[in-house]
This record gives sequence, C-alpha cells and structure tokens, in this order.
Amino acid sequence: MVGLGLLVAVAGLVLVVTLSTGAAPSDARRTADLAAELRCPDCQGLSVADSPTTSAREIRRQIGELVAGGASDDEVRAHFVARYGEWIRLAPSGATPWLIPFGVLLTGLLALGAWLLRRPGGPPTTAPPTDAQRRAVRDEAEALDA
Amino acid sequence: MRALRWILVPLLVAPVAWLLFQGFGRDPREIASPLLGQPAPAWSLTTLDGETVSSAELAGRPYLVNFWASWCIPACVDEHPVLAAAHERHGDELTIVGVLYQDDPDDARGFLSRYGDAGYPHVIDPDGRLAIDFGVTGPPETFFVGADGMVRYRQFGPLSEPRMAELLPLVLPVAIR
Amino acid sequence: MIPTIGHVAVLVGLALSAYAIVVFVLAGRSGDPRLTMSGRRAVIGSFVVAGIGCVAMIISLLTHDFSVLYVAENNATTTPPFISAISLWAALEGSILFWAFLATGWAALVLWRHRDRHRLLMPWVGTTLASVNLFFFAVMTWPGNPFVRTDPVALQGLGPNALLQNHPFMALHPPLLYLGYTGLAVPFAFGMAALVTRRLDEEWLRIVRRWTIVPWIFLTLGIVAGAWWSYEVLGWGGYWAWDPVENAALLPWLTATAFLHSAMVAERRGGLRIWTNALVIATFVLTLVGTFLTRSGIVASVHSFTQSAIGPWFLGGIVVAMVVSVTLLVWRLPELSGGGRPSSIVSRESAFLLNNVLFLAITFAVLFGTLLPLIVTVTSGDTISVGAPWYNAVTAPMFVALLFLMGVGPALPWGAASWTTMRQRFTVPLGAATLVAAAALLLGLRGAGPVGILALAVFVGVIMLDEVRRGAAARSRGRDEDPPTATWRLVTRNRRRYGGYAVHLGVLVMAVGVAVSSGLAVDRTVTLSPGESAEIGAYRITHDRLVVEPLPDDARVIETRAEVTYTGPQSGTLGTALRDYPNSPTSIATPAVRTSLGEDLYVTLLASDAASQAVSLHLFVNPLVVWIWIGGAIVGIAAVFAIWPERQARRVTADEPMRTAAPASVEGA
Repeated sequence: MVGLGLLVAVAGLVLVVTLSTGAAPSDARRTADLAAELRCPDCQGLSVADSPTTSAREIRRQIGELVAGGASDDEVRAHFVARYGEWIRLAPSGATPWLIPFGVLLTGLLALGAWLLRRPGGPPTTAPPTDAQRRAVRDEAEALDA
Repeated sequence: MRALRWILVPLLVAPVAWLLFQGFGRDPREIASPLLGQPAPAWSLTTLDGETVSSAELAGRPYLVNFWASWCIPACVDEHPVLAAAHERHGDELTIVGVLYQDDPDDARGFLSRYGDAGYPHVIDPDGRLAIDFGVTGPPETFFVGADGMVRYRQFGPLSEPRMAELLPLVLPVAIR
Repeated sequence: MIPTIGHVAVLVGLALSAYAIVVFVLAGRSGDPRLTMSGRRAVIGSFVVAGIGCVAMIISLLTHDFSVLYVAENNATTTPPFISAISLWAALEGSILFWAFLATGWAALVLWRHRDRHRLLMPWVGTTLASVNLFFFAVMTWPGNPFVRTDPVALQGLGPNALLQNHPFMALHPPLLYLGYTGLAVPFAFGMAALVTRRLDEEWLRIVRRWTIVPWIFLTLGIVAGAWWSYEVLGWGGYWAWDPVENAALLPWLTATAFLHSAMVAERRGGLRIWTNALVIATFVLTLVGTFLTRSGIVASVHSFTQSAIGPWFLGGIVVAMVVSVTLLVWRLPELSGGGRPSSIVSRESAFLLNNVLFLAITFAVLFGTLLPLIVTVTSGDTISVGAPWYNAVTAPMFVALLFLMGVGPALPWGAASWTTMRQRFTVPLGAATLVAAAALLLGLRGAGPVGILALAVFVGVIMLDEVRRGAAARSRGRDEDPPTATWRLVTRNRRRYGGYAVHLGVLVMAVGVAVSSGLAVDRTVTLSPGESAEIGAYRITHDRLVVEPLPDDARVIETRAEVTYTGPQSGTLGTALRDYPNSPTSIATPAVRTSLGEDLYVTLLASDAASQAVSLHLFVNPLVVWIWIGGAIVGIAAVFAIWPERQARRVTADEPMRTAAPASVEGA
C-alpha cells in the first residue's frame, strides 16, 4: 500500500512538472508558433517556419511585425487568410476535421467493447482443438521435458 | 436478410471511386482567391526603368496585375505575347502592370530584351510584399481589376489567347475582341 | 534496336499475363495440375521479359539514347553512369516498368515455391497475381509506354530531376519501397484464393502471415530510408512532413502491421476470419490508392509525377480491385463469421484487438487528412490545407497509446488476466519508468513529449526484459541450463516471439529518437561574412569562404558552396551548398549533416552574396536523430530474425536425464 502511494505521489510530481507551462509566451515564441501554423506559399506543404524561401522569410517578418504591434494570434491568422484564403493555414479551422478521426476511434473502441462484452454465446470452449492449439500444447509439453 | 449484405459492395466502392474521379481535371495547386469581389491591395513600387507607379494612379480604369519571373519557363514565355497583344489592342482603356516575382531585375530585363518589351511597366517587388498581399503562390498569376478597383478574377497559370478573350469582358466596359 | 526489344518485351509480358489468367482460371475450375504448371511458366516468362524490358531501358539510359522520350526527359550526356542506371525509376513510365519487374518477380517466386503444395489455392493465387501483372503491362502498352520514341532526336536531354541526383539513397529508397508495395499483392492473392475456394483455415493464416512479413520488412525499411533521404537532402531539417506520398507509403504499412498482430490472435483462437481477410484486402487496395494519388496529379505532393493519362487507368484498376475483392468477401461472408471472441476483456487477445482498433484509427486519420482537401474542394469549391500540425496532433495520442499497448500486451497472459498477475507484471516497470522520468527532469530534460516517451520506453523496455528473464529462468530451472545459455536458447528457439519483442525494441528506439529530436531541436538563421562565427547549442560555426565551381562529375551543374569550420561536441569542417542544375529554375540545397550518437549538426545554405562572400546559413542541432535510423535498422534485423527458420528440435536421447520441475508460469510459444 505504501509502495503504491509513493508511486502515485512521484508520478503526480512528474506529471505536474512536465506539463507546467511558464508565464505568457514571449513575442518570439508567439511568432515562431504562428509561423509553424502557416503554410509557405511556394513550397510543398512546408510551414513558414521551416521554409527557406523569400516569401516565407517575408511572412515571418510580417508575423513578427504584427505581433510586436499588438495583434492577437487570431488577428495574425486573419491577416494572412484575407490574402490567401484558408489554404494558408496548415491545420483546417473548425472543430469537425479534428472530431472526425477521434469519432472514428471512439466508434471502434465502442464496437470492440460491445463485441467483447457480448453474453457468452461464443463457441470456442466446445470446438475441437485447432492445429495451433495442438501445437501450442505440444510445445509446452516439450518445454517441460528435456 | 442475408441478401442485404450485397449492398456493401457499392456502398464501399462508389464513394471512393467518385471522390478520386472528381480529382481529375483540377489542378490541386490552384487555390481559390479570397480577393475576388474585394478591393485590390494598394501599392506604390519602382519600375525597371526607375520610375514609380502606384495603384492610386491606376484608379478609374480597369487594369491587370501580372506576376511573372524570368525563371518561370515555359509558362511565362508562353503568356508573354498574349499580354503584349492585349496591351497593343486595349492599351487605351486597359492598363497592364507586370510585377517581378522573386526575380533579379537584370534577369528580368534580359527576358524582356529576348522576348520583347510590349511597353507596359514592370515593377520590382522587393521582399515579395506585394505578392503576399495578393496571395500569389507562384508565377504566373494575373489579377483582373475593374475600373472600380475591385478584383474581378484571378487567373492561376499562364494566359492563353482564348482565355484572355474570355476574361477581358469581365473588366472592360465594352467587349471588344 | 534496344528500345524496340524493350517494347516488344512489354507486349510479350502483356500476352503472357493474359494467357496465365485464362489458364489459371481453367486450372482452378478443373483441378488439372498441368494447367497450373503452364500458368506458372507463363508468369515466370513474364518476369523474364519484364527483366529484359528493364535492362533495355537501363542500356538506353547508359548510352544516352535520346530517341527514347523517357531518356530524353530524364537523362543527359553529362549524367554520370550510376545516376543514369538508377534513373530507371526516376520518373513515371520507368517506375512502372520497374514495378512490373518486381511484381512479376514476386508472382514467379510464390508460384514456384508452392509448386507442389496447396493445389487448390495456387491456381487462384496465380489468377490474381497475373491479373495485377496484366494491369501494369497494359498501362505500359497504352497510356504509359516507357519506350515511346521521339522524332527528331534531340542532341541533349533534359537530365534527371535535380533532387534525385543529390544523394546515393536514390538507389536504395525506391527499390525497397517498391519491393514492399509489389510484395503485398501476394497476401492479397492468397486472400482472394481462399475466398474463392473457401479454404480459410489456420493453414491459410500461416501462409499469408509469412508472405506478408517479408514485404512488410521491405516497406518498413523503404519508409525509413525515405525519411532519412529527405532529412539528408531537402534541407529543412525534418524527416517527415505528412506529404501525400509519405502517407501513401504509411497507409498500407499500418494495415499490414494490424494484420500481422490480429493474425496472431486468429492463429491462436481461430475466428476473426472476416477481419483478417478485410485487412489483407485493404492493404493491397491502399498500395494501389497510394500509387494512384502520387501518379494521378489529383493531390499536390513533393513527389507528384506530372498528371498524365495514366491517372484514369489507375482509378479503373482500383475500382476493379475493390469491386472484385469486396464482392468475394461479401459473397463468403455468411461462412466466415463467428468464433474468435476472447473470453475476457483484459487479456492478450484483447490487447491485440485494441491495437488493431488503434492502427485502423490512425489509418483512417491519415487517409482522411490526405483526401480532405480534395473533398472540400469538390463539395464547396474552397481550398484548405491539411499539414503537419493537424496530423501530429491527431495521430500522436494514438501512437502513444500504441506504444503503451506494446508494453502491456506482451505482459498480459493469453486468456484472462487477474489483478494479482497485473500487479506482479506492471509494478516494477511503472516504478522504473517514473524513476527515470524524475531523473530526466532533474537532469534538465524538459517537455512533455520527450520525457513522456522516455518514460514509456522504459516502461515497455523493462516489461520486455522481464519477459525474457522469466522465460529464461523457467527454462533454466526446467533444463538445468545456466542463465546465459537458457536465455540464448530461449531466444533462438522462439524466434517469432522474441524477434517480435526485438522489433518492438526497435520501435521504441525510433519513438525516443522522434520524440527527442522533434521536441528538443534548436535552430537559428545567421548571416556570416568570411571569418565570422555564430553559436548554436554547444557548437561554434565559423564561415571560412565561399566557393563557386562546377561539379567534378557533371560539369553542367554549378555548385555554390559555403565552407565552414565547426567546433563543439564534434569538430571539423563541412561544405554546404546550393546547386544550380540546368533543368531546374531554383537552386537545390545540399545540406551538410554531421552525425553523432548524441546529436546531428545540420547546416543548410540559404543564400550567398558573391561580392561580399557573405552567406546566410540555417543552423540546426537535432538531438538523437541517428537513433531513428538505428531503430529502423533494428526493426529490420529483428524481423528477419523472427522469421528465420529454426533448426528442428533435438530429439531426446536416452543419456539425458528428465527434469520433473514444472514452473508455474510457463507460457506457450
């Protein structure tokens, strides 16, 4: 019991430390994060943060300017969406694109759970042993003998 | 009831097939421009000849903003005579402005001396700020702006003669072919 | 002359495949083994002619025969021989020729190896494989002829795509990947054969598992090689961007891995026949869909071959494959269902099935993300992007859950697990993981990702070591062997299980590498004049000079190279360059990477000024990246070990005493 309690305490401590975020992010941090969200216009799928092109450099500079000028994250995004459309954002906006894959996962988990929990009408215990089962028994027996 | 299972076949195959089929004929790199129906961005830039041109000067007349580069071959080479012809024919009521996209001015001058200079101005876009304001992803792209300063159309890719003929009536007051 | 031979070879391949299909169907219906033999010979023949076709193309490339359009578009007189040879798979038509060669190779191998067995299945296996081959030969005959001629013949070709010339991995990555893709048609063929003949027993599962794991190994190595290649070549410091072509390789890998795991449950407990069959079908269809996406031009990708007439043919092929396979599966559905349900929720079987749910959820997410821009454009006309931020946010939790399951699964016994068993198995690993996490935090490691994955890796690693220890202890007691011998024999005599654990170990190594390198990488952009220095991480970078010169082995390429000295945990000089290829408007970056076990120093040249000799460099320190590639190699080696045939068990001799001790926790193989 003591062991378990200690474990929980240490685990909790670890969790708290790893997840703790500092004070409000700096301008540089915000610029870098926003740059990672926006797509480089003349690259193939790279973010503005990762891209070496001239346009990426200029967009990073503009983001920095906007952030220093007091714009919020949403305002910075809107600035570029007004020029390029939603395409410039590397992650689609709105909740639906995010919910769908997790919805599928949830459905799968529920289906698995339902299948596992179904009242035992399943036959495995009365079926004759399969080849695999025979082999498994034989291997176990061999493992016991020399 | 067991016969019902056959519905699985079209159910699984048809949507996938339809979706993938829809992809043909579209250029996946062409993005819808949010500028359509909006006022065109304002700018004031220096031309290859050293003069200044600004969007304010162009107000009241329809104009085309054509983003191009000397390294954009063959597309920009192909559309160059189309733009030249349009300038030739409609230069009285239509202004054409070329904008260099990530290009060296000397290389651009070389391109013009090789392929012909139609006479309309080409402005230099240092740092690509104007390209960003217009939401350009790569040359060539041409924006058709009406006399009221509103963006009527964005042509993604090179302009051909038929395409130009199709699009000019969007901005020109009278359809002159 | 040579190109004509190549073209004729393709036509012969087309004819042989068509003949093989007819003969195999007749063999399947009549059971006449001579028909099967004839079909098998036809398939072997198609492999030979596909080989001739490839050789013809390689010769045309080596001799710079610009009368062949493919050569004119992908080769130049200055192209080095090595590059010329591997240009076979550099562009669309050549890659299909290479694909056909590998696909016919697999088909010939399967049919030859099983020539005296499975008399009922093989005709239908042959039909399926010959149909797949027929498709590729047909594509090469009509829309995508690699041997199309040009007239007049150009004096100089366009040369290979600049990006493909930069790195020797161009020779490694596509062949590995294609061997994986083409090989996955084989389990599919067995699946189709089993559905037609209704022979879906354990034997089928065993065969299909064997014929899945070999292409799986190639696919895994191909994906890792691709990631390594883009890291070394593209210059942005990353190795995975969720580009459609990368996703195309990942999708079949995910379903194939899911299949390998659910096959273990099915082999042990029976049942799951619909599920395993559906996975085998899905894997093959996904290889076609993936190939289609990158060859049709309907999604933009770094790897897009230009849009061509081949697209609609591939779509047709996908539709036919889907209709046939789904119809067969649905037809036999009533006979396949039932059985296989685990008796307890907490058991190894359930863990395996949960693993499948996760793999399929990830597969759906990746497919959804890849197709969403197309869906949105088609339905609303808007354009959106789905990039790394979305994929990472959605798949990361699922991958982490899989990593956790990777530890929990093997520790759970088959059948029901009691609370006592679980406490026994998991307390020490959990404790170890927490301790290591705490220690890492104390030592300065930060970030939920790196710390969390490290803890998870310790958790899973300790469980695996404990499994080995317990198995060795049981064996040691039972056979009176000393622990090292017992461990060695345990591992080498149960290769499937312990090889599987070693594969998981490789995955762990990769996961730690990915988590730490993405969480703790630092980068900065600096502009340096000759003599100036900059610092990044523990390194000091000094720009020495700027050199502009043509490449020694291809004079048409001009290289602008910044020569740089670096000091720190590693020291030395490096050159990072931008190369101007005649057929590419933009310069191609050639980053310099200095790898050590602890971190990579990665330097890319962004821009240079000839007048002042100043250079603009993007500097990265990427910790633990090399472990991603090492982990990938471990996975490959471990998987080969897992399937390497074991020697027959020794017969008991009269001289050896019998042991009577029966340890309480002996596990079946």
